[in-house]
Amino acid sequence: MIRAWLVMLLFVSSLSWAAQSSYEFDSDAQRESFNRLTAVLRCPMCQNQNIADSDAMIAHDMRRKVHQLLQDGKTEDEVIAYMKARYGDFVYYEPPVTIGTIWLWLIPLIFIACATIIVVKRRKPQVSADMAEQLAKADEILRQDKS
Amino acid sequence: MKKTWLVVIPVMLFVLVAAFLYSGLSSDPRQLDSQITGQPFPEFLLPDLMEPEKNYTQAALKGEVTIVNVWGVWCVTCAVEMPYLTHLKETEGVRFVGLYFDQDLDPDNGTKTLNRVQQEVTELLSRYGNPYAFNIFDVYRDTSLDLGVTGAPEHFVIDREGIVRMHHVGDINERVWMNKIGPLYQRLTGREEQNAQGAGR
Repeated sequence: MIRAWLVMLLFVSSLSWAAQSSYEFDSDAQRESFNRLTAVLRCPMCQNQNIADSDAMIAHDMRRKVHQLLQDGKTEDEVIAYMKARYGDFVYYEPPVTIGTIWLWLIPLIFIACATIIVVKRRKPQVSADMAEQLAKADEILRQDKS
Repeated sequence: MKKTWLVVIPVMLFVLVAAFLYSGLSSDPRQLDSQITGQPFPEFLLPDLMEPEKNYTQAALKGEVTIVNVWGVWCVTCAVEMPYLTHLKETEGVRFVGLYFDQDLDPDNGTKTLNRVQQEVTELLSRYGNPYAFNIFDVYRDTSLDLGVTGAPEHFVIDREGIVRMHHVGDINERVWMNKIGPLYQRLTGREEQNAQGAGR
């Protein structure tokens, strides 16, 4: 029982850690903007974390900057543009559609299209005359077995 | 006919995927495209690290080819490269300007005093050599953010007009200088031509 509680406590503490922030906001809307932005901006240092999760110094600085820009009345898009101007497209989890990245969307579609064509074409296997004869024979044997 | 396609298509796919994955083997995910290269150095107004009453703007970087070195005493690689930077300053007259930022000096809940930072810097530079013309103190790390700095050390080669020509992430050692930064530096300072003329005579 105690063990179960301890395990639960573990989750509680990590949750509160994620939510911990010393920033003050003018409004709830601004706080939501901040939470949204820090979740979609990627830490350039620890590359598989967003800046809300990362404890790298650069992530701290970027969070502070996001907060400051929001306080200055910048919109979410402007904050993202600000970060992109400094750290490149890399910093935003949604890649822009370019010749190079369009394949991320196209390849799965092409794959599905090809697979569909193949499946549809193969649906009716053509049974050769020889094979049909053998199948008929087999069916007959089966029927005889049953009766 | 159909049979050949059944062989050719998978082989082609395999080759394409293999080529793609092979190129991925040697690509460094930490190598980000620098956004600042080709742009003027970001505007700033920051104090000197040693004499805080003295202020610098981006104009301080103009007029001479300069290498801005982003560093801090807490950064081990920075200390490692210090003797080589000093060597470059002494032998080739390279102008290094430090953009200093401190990790522990969190602007929001600071724990370290400026005096302490200055003391540590003096100590480190007296031990490993001082390549810097001067050190700019990036108090809130805003300028580092404007430059797209992700850590330390990082270097920015600035031409005479104050345009960033190269962003080098990591330390400068002999190999990096010979292959990457040195040639650009020589070109920007125009020393290459002088050398070529000298060799021609």
